[in-house]
Amino acid sequence: MAVRTIEVRERVMAKNDELAAEVRRLLAAHHVPALNLVSGPGSGKTMLLERTLERLGPEMRIAVVTGDVQTQNDADRLARHTDRLVQAVVTNGACHLDARQVGSALEAIDLADTDLLFIENVGNLVCPASWDLGEAAKVVLFSVTEGEDKPAKYPKMFRESRYCVLTKLDLLPYVPFDLALAEETARGVNPDLKFFHTSARTGEGLDGWFDFLRAQVKASRPA
Amino acid sequence: MHEMSLALEVCDIARRHVSPEQVASIVEVVVEVGDDAGVVADSLEFWLESMLSSPPFGEAKPVIRRVPGDVLRVSYLEVDDGRPDDRSP
Repeated sequence: MAVRTIEVRERVMAKNDELAAEVRRLLAAHHVPALNLVSGPGSGKTMLLERTLERLGPEMRIAVVTGDVQTQNDADRLARHTDRLVQAVVTNGACHLDARQVGSALEAIDLADTDLLFIENVGNLVCPASWDLGEAAKVVLFSVTEGEDKPAKYPKMFRESRYCVLTKLDLLPYVPFDLALAEETARGVNPDLKFFHTSARTGEGLDGWFDFLRAQVKASRPA
Repeated sequence: MHEMSLALEVCDIARRHVSPEQVASIVEVVVEVGDDAGVVADSLEFWLESMLSSPPFGEAKPVIRRVPGDVLRVSYLEVDDGRPDDRSP
């Protein structure tokens, strides 16, 4: 048999990245900043969003797209805190959201009537790191019930994220977690990472998070 | 875990680079996987072995090449063009 070589040289993520660019253009056209919340399961993404919707919902129009492998439990939880549509994406086994899913979800959201978009990704510290969804930034959540070495174990996620929200600080007295070491480990992976120290249960540190979100919205508005 | 969806994308790319009649004649799909690509190469290879041996593919084999950096791309395809091997006696 004679074998012919066909040069391809095509990035595997090229199609997703094209769709992500379309999502980014769409969001930019409507002046909507989008934050992609990523973390391992159970680090508090939904609870942070609940507190955010409660506090900022009255002053800005927040849209949410949630991703879950199964169930739309997170979307149902969030819907209790807002009158606006919370768009659930059930991935049916896939361990991450992709740009096509986000683009489809946005078709149901009136972006002209939106100030801020959250994408709550599937709880997973590996796969979502590789998929651009068209967001302005990834925000990685890191709870004190996890080990300080998580950034070293999952470097791509921390490298791809611009912000890191340390969560569940109310549990610090009960767990052997060294905050300074955790930050040092994360900065070892991504020196530019900016941190928020929070407890969604007690409210500690949330004002800084809310001010950051207000600034994101303000910066996205046309002059 | 996302290696299954990456494998699907690799198969889609391979299909797009040949005519529909040639898909079953692909014998190798060479994929470059960067050390920092966030991809478990063994898992990707496992899924590709499964997908590339099922229709519309014939018996294509994945070839994974580890490279530095975070690249993840289909490098080239080897396709049986149906002609007898020139080197055959």
